[in-house]
Amino acid sequence: MLRITAGKFATAMRGTVGTTASRVAAVRCVHGSEESAEEFDKRYEKYFAREGIDGWEVRKGMNDLLGMDLVPSPKVIESGLRACRRVNDIALAIRWLEGCKDKCGDQKATLYPYLLEKITPTLKELGVPTVEELGYDKPELALKSVFDI
Amino acid sequence: MLRSLGVRLPGAAGTALKLATAQTKASSSSAMMMMMIRRGAHNSQYDATRLMGGEREVVGYGINGSPIYIDCADFPFPAIRYGEVSPESCALREKEQGDWKKLSIEEKRSLYRHSFCQTYAEFQHFTPEWKLVIGVALWAVAIGILGSIIYSIRLDRLTPETFDEDRRQAQLRRMIHLQVQPITGLSSKWNYETNKWK
Repeated sequence: MLRITAGKFATAMRGTVGTTASRVAAVRCVHGSEESAEEFDKRYEKYFAREGIDGWEVRKGMNDLLGMDLVPSPKVIESGLRACRRVNDIALAIRWLEGCKDKCGDQKATLYPYLLEKITPTLKELGVPTVEELGYDKPELALKSVFDI
Repeated sequence: MLRSLGVRLPGAAGTALKLATAQTKASSSSAMMMMMIRRGAHNSQYDATRLMGGEREVVGYGINGSPIYIDCADFPFPAIRYGEVSPESCALREKEQGDWKKLSIEEKRSLYRHSFCQTYAEFQHFTPEWKLVIGVALWAVAIGILGSIIYSIRLDRLTPETFDEDRRQAQLRRMIHLQVQPITGLSSKWNYETNKWK
């Protein structure tokens, strides 16, 4: 009885959980290709430059990029800013700049001026103010403690 | 009785009127509450979190799909705008559709504050909270040390009578009589002929 049941169970499961040779090959193939930095930048430039991109996708891309262990390259930042322009959201653009500045980490003194120099033409073209122009490089407002409300 | 009725009736009518006007005013919110009660369990579009978001525009997926606002550097773009939709914000958003160079810096700031609560500089501002943390930790350590000191002082008086020297000697003698661990242990070191330690 057990043998018959086990046999039937095995046949039923074969299609769902069994690993076939082609699947293993597919997984290995994914592991094998490594994306270069240029390809990565191109991918995100293309992502932000896509026609008909909406706010959800822009936010998704930016959240992903700012969650990674990297500083977005100037081209990607510009592409992101243009995406913000297309979805008509200047707050998003300012936050994106802030996030990119934050990603410079302890290298802010060297990396941030370089980024700013590269993206200044785009900022001028779109009319996006820098973090410093807005005065957002220093804390402006303080929040009331939740325990005092 | 009549007088009291006479006094009461207009008052009652007044409260009824007030209630009616209040109902018309609160009709939108009560309708929302009804929707929450009726459909909350089945339709995520009308769940309680969504209702707490009020009139705020949902602009992204957010952290886990819930329309929650949070300022966090790991995840800088929350699912909803911070500010509720108002006529002023709508007017500004209309203006935003045009050329951004025509917006003044104040307008840009208020657009930013409409979308986000705190800037990076604000939510990453260093707070003196570490003093409280270290203070509480040191207090905990001090109380622990104090407790252990008091306990060690009281320990002499707390030991049971079996800890007395003569009782321990008796215990040892009994163990030797019982030949405890005769190969390598206690009894192997005792010479039973001479009744002395080897």
